[in-house]
Order: sequence, then structure tokens, then C-alpha cells
Amino acid sequence: MITSRTRRIASHGLSRRGLLGSVLATPFIARRAFAADTLNAYSIWPENYARPMMEAFEKESGIHVKFIRFSSGEALARVTAEKANPQVDVLFGGPVETFTAGQAQGIFDNYVPPAAADLPARFKDKGGAWTAIADDPLVFMTNTQFLKQNNLQAPASWDDLLNPAYKNMLQMADARTSGTAVTRIFSILQVHNRNEDEAFAYMKKLRQNVQLYTKSGGGGTLPVGLGQAGGGIFFIVDALFTRQQGYDVQISFPKEGIGSAAECIALIKGAKNPDAGKKLIDWAASPAMQSQLAPNKINFIPANPKVETEAGLAAILKGANIIEIDDAWAGANRQRIVQRWVAEVLNAS
Amino acid sequence: MATAGAWTRWRGASDPLRLLVVVVLWLLLALFVLYPLAELIGRALSDDSGFTLAPLVAAIDSKSNLRAFANSLLLATLVGVCGTFFGFLFAFTVERTQAPRFWVGLLDVATLLPLISPPFTTSIAFVFSFGPRGFITHDLLGMNNASVYGLTSTLAAETLTYFPLAYMALRPMLAGIGGDLEEMAFSLGSSRWRVFRTVTLSLTVPGLANAFLLLFAASLADFATPLILAGNDFPVLPTEAYLQITGMFDLKGGAVLSLLLLVPAGVVYFLQRQVVGRRRYVTMTGKGRAGTSQNSVAPLASAALMGVCLAVVLFILYLYALLLIASLVISFGANHTLTLAHYRVIFTEGLPAIEDTLIIALIGMPIGGLYGVVVGYLVARTEFVGRHAMEIVTMLNYALPGTIVGIAYLIAFNQKPFLLTGTAAIIIACYVFRYSPTGIRTTVALLQQIDRSIEEASFSLGASSFMTFRRIMLPLIMPAFFAGLSVVFIRSMTAISATIFLVSINWTLITVRILENMTELSLGPAAAFSVFVIVIVVIVTAALNRVLRHLTAPGLRLPAVEG
Amino acid sequence: MIERAEPAGIRLEGVSATMQDRNRGEIIAVRNIDLDVRPGELMTLLGPSGCGKTTTLRMIAGFQPPSGGRILIAGRDVTNVAANQRDIGFVFQNYALFPHLTIFGNVAYGLQVRNKSGSEIDRAVAEALELVGLAGFGERLPNELSGGQQQRVALARAIVIRPRVLLFDEPLSNLDAKLRVSMRGEIRRLQQTLEITTVYVTHDQEEAMAISDRIAVMEKGRIAQLDDAEALYRRPATAFVAGFIGRANLLRGTVESVREGRAILDVGGQKIAAAPQGVPAPGHAVTVVVRPEAIAISSSDTGLTAVVQSRIYLGDKIEYEISFGGQLLNIVRFNPADDEGCLPGTTVSIAIAPADIRLVD
Repeated sequence: MITSRTRRIASHGLSRRGLLGSVLATPFIARRAFAADTLNAYSIWPENYARPMMEAFEKESGIHVKFIRFSSGEALARVTAEKANPQVDVLFGGPVETFTAGQAQGIFDNYVPPAAADLPARFKDKGGAWTAIADDPLVFMTNTQFLKQNNLQAPASWDDLLNPAYKNMLQMADARTSGTAVTRIFSILQVHNRNEDEAFAYMKKLRQNVQLYTKSGGGGTLPVGLGQAGGGIFFIVDALFTRQQGYDVQISFPKEGIGSAAECIALIKGAKNPDAGKKLIDWAASPAMQSQLAPNKINFIPANPKVETEAGLAAILKGANIIEIDDAWAGANRQRIVQRWVAEVLNAS
Repeated sequence: MATAGAWTRWRGASDPLRLLVVVVLWLLLALFVLYPLAELIGRALSDDSGFTLAPLVAAIDSKSNLRAFANSLLLATLVGVCGTFFGFLFAFTVERTQAPRFWVGLLDVATLLPLISPPFTTSIAFVFSFGPRGFITHDLLGMNNASVYGLTSTLAAETLTYFPLAYMALRPMLAGIGGDLEEMAFSLGSSRWRVFRTVTLSLTVPGLANAFLLLFAASLADFATPLILAGNDFPVLPTEAYLQITGMFDLKGGAVLSLLLLVPAGVVYFLQRQVVGRRRYVTMTGKGRAGTSQNSVAPLASAALMGVCLAVVLFILYLYALLLIASLVISFGANHTLTLAHYRVIFTEGLPAIEDTLIIALIGMPIGGLYGVVVGYLVARTEFVGRHAMEIVTMLNYALPGTIVGIAYLIAFNQKPFLLTGTAAIIIACYVFRYSPTGIRTTVALLQQIDRSIEEASFSLGASSFMTFRRIMLPLIMPAFFAGLSVVFIRSMTAISATIFLVSINWTLITVRILENMTELSLGPAAAFSVFVIVIVVIVTAALNRVLRHLTAPGLRLPAVEG
Repeated sequence: MIERAEPAGIRLEGVSATMQDRNRGEIIAVRNIDLDVRPGELMTLLGPSGCGKTTTLRMIAGFQPPSGGRILIAGRDVTNVAANQRDIGFVFQNYALFPHLTIFGNVAYGLQVRNKSGSEIDRAVAEALELVGLAGFGERLPNELSGGQQQRVALARAIVIRPRVLLFDEPLSNLDAKLRVSMRGEIRRLQQTLEITTVYVTHDQEEAMAISDRIAVMEKGRIAQLDDAEALYRRPATAFVAGFIGRANLLRGTVESVREGRAILDVGGQKIAAAPQGVPAPGHAVTVVVRPEAIAISSSDTGLTAVVQSRIYLGDKIEYEISFGGQLLNIVRFNPADDEGCLPGTTVSIAIAPADIRLVD
């Protein structure tokens, strides 16, 4: 060929056609395997909680779980958006109010695992739309240094958080994206005996001290740990995780009471691997999974009564006033309450 | 003048191959640009009874939305002004003072960093530096309770992130304006300041306007920085749209909010076309310094300028140093033991994300590069029905904020007949159609330097359109192809606002993992991922630039590639 | 040996072209021209900027479709045939060499398009480069060559494919004066050797006259006159042609009478005798063309008198500007002898042979 003489520029040696041709096919084939030994899930639990659980499940059942983590709001939005063509089989973990909301959207398939028989009523949906796998109370978490500097005790009442010392020093979750926030709001409602106006008045006052409403439930824990924030309201798992990482924080409970959220699991309607999904649900609702929580330093309270709460965790919870939130009522009013919160509290300034 | 100038279109007899390519392009554009947009608008502006403007009206009515809208505009304007200011400062310092080469190199590196970084890098560092117990505010300045969330921080972070765009746009312009005019003004007795004001500044005005618009658009679309730094007191539209969808599960509401963003985005786009218009791109020559006047800046002013630039550069480097440290210690802020654990984590648990991102980037690159070159050639050099319309449509996904595009894709491709959610194709398509316009622009700019007569010569010698394109034009616009490759690659590694809606079980991206890690308080892995991305991007783009230099036909100059 | 192709004729019948100008909208660049280029001849389209010559050339090439009329090459109607199928060679003003190909690659391009064999290409390219005086330059790149060399490569590239028709678009205007003169000679020699029908566009009348068989002088989209150089110079049909080819003095006067085969014209009070073309009627206002070198000047005040306005001594000639009958005339005296008398301000006597006074419309 004359090429070598007609072109003196350094030959780029790229076969453009080869490059294009050989890889074009790949992305159009969804990598998802349809074999019976794979399962797809959205996990609301963080990566480092979900992964050990999924690995344990795979070891026991031989089913490989592919999952991706979303915050509760994102996960719900995703599953709802995908209704016509579900991408996953199971929604794993996440506070109950997310699941009741999802129930209303009709995205779950009813399935009652055998372990459900052992669970108290609040840990399962009557129709089988979801089942609880853990319980997660809310706590107050504060930075030790901050308390010292401001001569404060760890807050023991909701009103303690209204202290001007906390101005611009509180971080807690944003109800638009996080179940933690919704649980928090419904706890406050419950404490005020569902007097919405009273509850919202309190929240408006609290707003004055809030530095940031975070996107995810645990988003504020690091700032509190670092001292960028003085304190916040989080699920106990996140609070204890912060402490485990070495940050110097205090955990306390308000005497008026604070709620907890059941962490649940559900089968997605139209799931492509329903049988595998059911196996995961069976396993998660049973002691088989929940006994793995403590060894993995995951500080959820097991929902299944057959599993004992780990000693250290139990000690922290001693004397705490954990109140019950009517999940059905919460589910039914979630949208309205959150919207009211956004309008009156978030956008208050 | 009767002579057909270098810019006229090829009006030759109909060419079946070209026709085919045009048709295919239109199909692709219809599918990946127009259809999602239509679906978005349809979903947003409808209720049970059909098409209606009611949701739009309601959205405009809502005070909080208007607030977010106003905030977005305010932020964008401020970022535009500040960013242009700093960009001009840097460009002027480099081009007009006698700064030594090493120093210029340092500036170049420092300004490149924000452009190739994954999102959140500046934001994280900001929080650490300026929070209530921030390193700078608390430890250095002794301030208690400094507030890092809000307009100021977001403004500062975005300015730092985007001013390099202004720098890159203004520098060749200042280089191109010869020192002759300034010298002439001096010789006429003007003071330096006067010369600067009346000559330099006024000649640069179109460049300043262009830079402002660039930055305005970038800030308008920025979803990541406000997500971290804007706090709750300063909501902005792209973040609100995102939260509306993912938080309130309100796809329609989010869609409507995105549409609100269309208005300023559109205005900016058309303004830009007016300002830049059909002007030739001022090319970046290797000998930009030749035109500088020895006299234009007094030594004292020179030193001051260099000092300011240096301060900014040091601050940028400081922010990235923080990032590096966070990736190398166990718990930033609590436990500063050095460790490689985070890197281990990203290469084990994070490996799928790394693999996915790289695969997608590597597939998207050649597609994006080729698409950019073909479209650029067609639009700049040939004539066909609807050419102007095609030019606009190809720019749509680029001009729109990423959130809109992401949401549109999510809505459009989750239903038959175009079921693409869960595949890599949807992500690749998003990247290709969103980031290729840079390649298109570069192609057009290069083509403007290549006279018509070269193609005509090929035709006169008997070559077909295809042969002319393949043997003559393509080699000559190879640099544009590589520029396109480069941009698609960088964006694939660092983009988030559109693709956060498009990840799935099967395909996830490093940037999304970074976001997740941050919200899960796994700061170490987030920082490690970020460092990894920066390193990879630097290596790949350096390699591409190398090849580029070899391939540029002697005598052709490359236009400055902007964002 | 390069085989010679059968020379082809070119015909334009009623060809027009319209162009879109950004500021002025649609303009008519070429109006309804007819042109007949004989096989093997070198025809030049000559005219000022905007006259339509380049547009006409580009229509012949196929780069621009005519808005009306027909174009035939070798008897074949090519009006709607694409440029790459017209078997033409085109040499551009800016050479238009492919910057990324070597000289060899450039010249070989057209042959490769025609799928010639490797050895044939080698041979033909070598020969073409030899013909333009660039043997051995094959491995260089265009940007390593001077302007003149690049133009020769462009020429080689165009002729190596032995097109039926060779088209030149002001190929020498980017070169310096000396080079222009030598290159135009080379182009002409080459064209004659190869006997290729050629259409050449230029605005330089000296160039046109030096190399063309015939010249079409164009003005505002039309052909003002089509003739060989001598006829154009000596018998310009219009004032425009007269002014464009060579220098011309235009005198305005009225016909006083016609007798003995001469037309007597009254120019500003003085009477000059012109050889009549056509039958000018007495009383008619006419314009006549007189070449500067056709006017004899002497210091005296008899006969036709004029006053010298300026005198420029240029060595091989002296140029005068005189006022005659209220109008300014330029005179050139070649090889001047002693002319002390014709100083500015003095009255001089001029004489013009009637044959050198041409009436134009």
C-alpha cells in the first residue's frame, strides 16, 4: 500500500473500527443474570451493614445478592418509578414508614415468612406486605467536647435541645429524603399526643437551632463526631457507629419518650426472581440473620424475639423511654405531615 | 464579492451516503434528546385529564419554588461575576506580566484540578475548613460557631470549581490581542491603568461576556455543590428538583421544577450564540507570549497580581491536600493514623463501581468522539434541510442542567418501547448526547480553519463525499475527535447530576459511590475514590494530549477547549 | 510518456448564477452568459473583483450549480453532474494542498481515487513532478515548501490525472511579482505541451495577455468582450474593456462632421480626426479611447495644443499628464530623446493618428 509514503505522520495504530465493533454489543445486554441463584435488591441499610448480611445469606443459601444502596426516600422513588418494569426483587431494610408508604403505592407483593409467627403485631403488616427484621430507636447524640465547653449535660428532654447554646449546632435528617426524620417527626407528634399544632410549634422552635437538615438519616453524625455540630437526633445504629469509629460522643434519651422505627423487608411486586426473594425474606426475618447483627457490630435491636439483644446495646437502652408510634396512622398521614413540615418548618425562615 | 467564501456550504448534488448519515443522526437525536424531553414535559404538564399547565402554574405559585428559582439565579450571577473576575485575573497575570514559566505551569495545574475532579471534593474540604470547628475558622482564626452552609460557601466553592473555565476561555483571547495596541497607547502617553481600562478591557469584553455566560450556565446546573453546602436556608432549583423526586417520590413535581430551569438555561444559550456567534475561535498558538507588551504592567502591580493568584492556587492545593489526607488516615478529624485501608476498600468493595465507570467511559469515548466529529462536519460543512435545527437539537442536552436530562431519561426509558433503565446503554447515551457538543464545537472551530478549497480539491480530483471525509477531513479534524474523547472521558469519570438517576443494580458509578460514602459517613473511601478519579483522569488526558500533538496536521492550531 | 487525452471543448449556454450575500440578500453574480471554449485553447476570464469570473469557473467545475442555463464539456451536458464526476483538474488560489499528506501523497491522490496500480501511480507522479520542476520533492510535506513550490505541486496534482479540462482560479495572486511572471510562462508551456483545454481566471490583465489564446473580459456578471489579446487591446468594444486592458484615455466629444472617411470630433474646442467605426451622426456625443503611447507630444504650440500638468521621468519612459480640451490625458513616451521643452506648465502640441482613436459606447 502506498500509505507509508503518502503519510508521514506518526501512525496512530488505532483501528477505529475494531475498537467500536468489539465493545458496542456489551451495554445493551443487561448484565443481570436471570439464573435462579441471583437476587437483586435495593438496600436502605448502608453498604457496610448490608454487605456482611448478604454475604452471610449467600453462604447459607448459595444465592448471590446484587444490591445497591439508596436512602429510604430515593429507594422508594426508584421502586415506584420502576413499577412497570421492576429492576429489583426485594427492598431490604429501611424504616417502616417507608414501607407503609410503598404499600400505598402498591409496589409490594404480599408474602409472610414463617418467622412472622413469632413477631409481635407492630413488626409485621397484616396483609404480609412487609415484615420487620430489626428495630431502631432514635437517640440524642451530642459531642462531648461541645457539652463540656458549654457546661451542658447530655440532653434528657426534648426541650433541652431548645437551649440557645445549641444555636446553629444541631444536625438532623431532612424529612424529604430520610426516614429517620419522619420517625423523628412522628415521635414528636406522639409525645404531644398527636396535637399537630403543638408539635409543629415545637419543631419550629427547634428549627432555630438547626445548622443543617441532612439528606440521609446519618448524615449529621460525622459533623457531630468531629464537633462541626454539637448534637443531633439519629437512629441508634448510626450513633453507635460514630462512637465505634473513635469519635467522642454521648448518647441520651428524652424523658418524654422517643420513638423507634422497625426496619423492614418486602417483596417487590413483579419481581423477576420471586422465589429467591422469598428465601431472603425468610432468612432475614429469622434468627439466622438477626443473630449476625451483633457480631458484625451492627447495632440494630433484633426484631425476632428469639434473638437476644447484645449486652452492651441493652445497657445503653436501659431506662430509655421508647414509645410506640402507630405505624398505620403514620403511613396514612405521612405525605401530609411531611409536606406540612416542609412548608412550616423547613422553609420557616 | 462573488467568490464563495470559505464558509459556504457544500451544495453539491445529492449524496446518498450523507443522506443516510443525516437520517440516522436525526433518529438518534429524536430518541435520545427529543423524546425524553417530550416525555418530561408531558409528565410534568399533565394530570388525569390530560395536558395542562396547571402543575407549572402551581409550581410557579409556590413561594418556596420561587425562592429556589431566585436563589439559583442569584447564585449563578454571583458565580459568573466572581468566576470571570478570577479567570480574568489569572489570564491577565499569565499573559501580561513577566511570570516565569514554572509559575505559569503551576497555575495551569492548579486550575486544571477543579475541572477534572469528581463532585463534592471542594465541598467536603470546605466543610472541614470553615465549619463551626473548621480547620481554618476554628483552629486558625479562633472563630466559634462559624456557619459553613449557605450562599457564601456555595458561592466560594462554585467559584473555585468553575473559574478555570473562564481562565481557559480568556487566556487565548488575551494572548491573541496583540501587545501592539497597548504599546501604541503607551507611546501616545497613556498611563498604564488607562491603557488597561480603555484598550485591554474593552477588547476583552466579548470574552468576558462569554466567560460570564459559561459560568452562569455551569452554576445554574450544579447539583452537587449546593447539595452539600447550600444548607437549608439557600435552596436552589436543581437540588430541589432532585429532592422532590427522591424524597417526596414526586416525579411530576421534580419534572416541573426542572422545567423551570429550562428558562434561564435557554436564555443563556441564546445569549451565548449572540456573543460568540459566528466569530472565529481565537486559536491558541504556541507562541502566545510574542504579542505581550513589556510595559503593560508595572512591576509592583505585577507582583501584587502574582501574589493574589498564588494565594488562590495555594488555597486550591490546600483543599486537595485535605482530600488526600482524608484518604490516607483512618478517621479524618478523629484518628489520624496513616492507613491504606481506604484504598484497599475502594479496590475491593468499590471495584464494581470502578469497573463499571471505566467500562462506560471507555465505550462512551469513541462513540462520543465520532459523533462529535460527524455532526460537527455535517453542520459546519454541508447543506441539508433542517441543518440549523439539528445544530440546536444537538446542543440541547448539553445546555440543559443535568438534573433535567437525568430525570427525563429516567421517565422516558422506563417504559416500553424503549426500556433502557438498568442498562449501561442509558448511561452511555446520556454521556454521549450530553457531553459531545464540546467535540462538535471543536470540530466546527477546526473546520473553520480548514479552507473549503481543500475539500473542493478532493472533489475535483474525483473523490466521493465519503472518501473526502475519510481521507482528508477526518485526519485533519482528528484533534477534534481526540478533544471529544477527552471530554467524554473526563465527564464520565466526574459527572453526577444527570447520572445519579440512571444508576442501577447492574451499573453503578464512582461518583454515585462517593456521594453514598459521604452520606454514610465513610469519608475515607469517598476521599480515596476522589483521589483515584483525579489520578486516572490526569493520566488518560495526558496520554490523549500526547497523541493529539502527534496527530495535529502541521500548520493547524487547536482551539481552546472549554468545559 | 503521459498520454494525451482528447482535448474537450466547453460550452456555456445562457448560464446564470445567483448567490446569497449575508448583507445584501440575493445577488445575481453571473447573468446569462454564453461561452465557447475551443478544445485545447487557454481561455482566460478576466475582470475586476465581483465580475463573476470565479463564479463562472466554479460552475464549470461543478462547485456551484448554475441557477439557469446549461454547461457542456466535450459535448456532454454536465449541468447536473457532480464535480467529482466531471473529469476536471482544478488549481486553487491558495493551492489547497492536503496538509497531512506528503507531496507524493498529494499528487497521487487523484490517481488513487481512480484505482490506478501502485507502479502506475509511482510513474505518473514522478513524471508530473518532473514536469513542474519538483522532481525529488515527493517525501516533503506541503508546509515545508515555498508558495511557488506549493503552487507547482497543485499544478502537478491537477494534471497528473490528465483531466479533459484544466481550471485555474487566480493561481498566481499569492505569489510575488517575479515569481508570477516565471510561473505563468511555465503554466502556459505545460498547457500547450499537454494540449489540455484550460479556463484561467485572473484579474491581472498582463497575465491574461501573456498566456491566453483568448480572453473573456467580464464586467458585472456579463462578458463585455471575448477576443484575443491584440483585438482587445487595439479594438476595445467598450470603455470598460478599454480601461481594463492596458491603460486608456477616455475622451468625450461630439461628432462635428463626417468626411473623407474620417469623423471630425470636437473635443473641448479642438478638432481631432478619428477613423469612424459605424456611422456616427453629427451632433452625437461620443466617447473615444486613445492609448497613452499613441499620442505624440512635442514642444510647440501649433496644431492640437495641450498644457502639461505633470511630467515623470522613469528612465525607460516619460509619463506626462496633460490637459487637452478641458480633459486630462496620460501620455507615455518610450525611449525618450531630449524633451526639455515639455515641462509642466508649458504648452505642447500633440498628435494622434486617426486609427488610434477608437469610438466606444
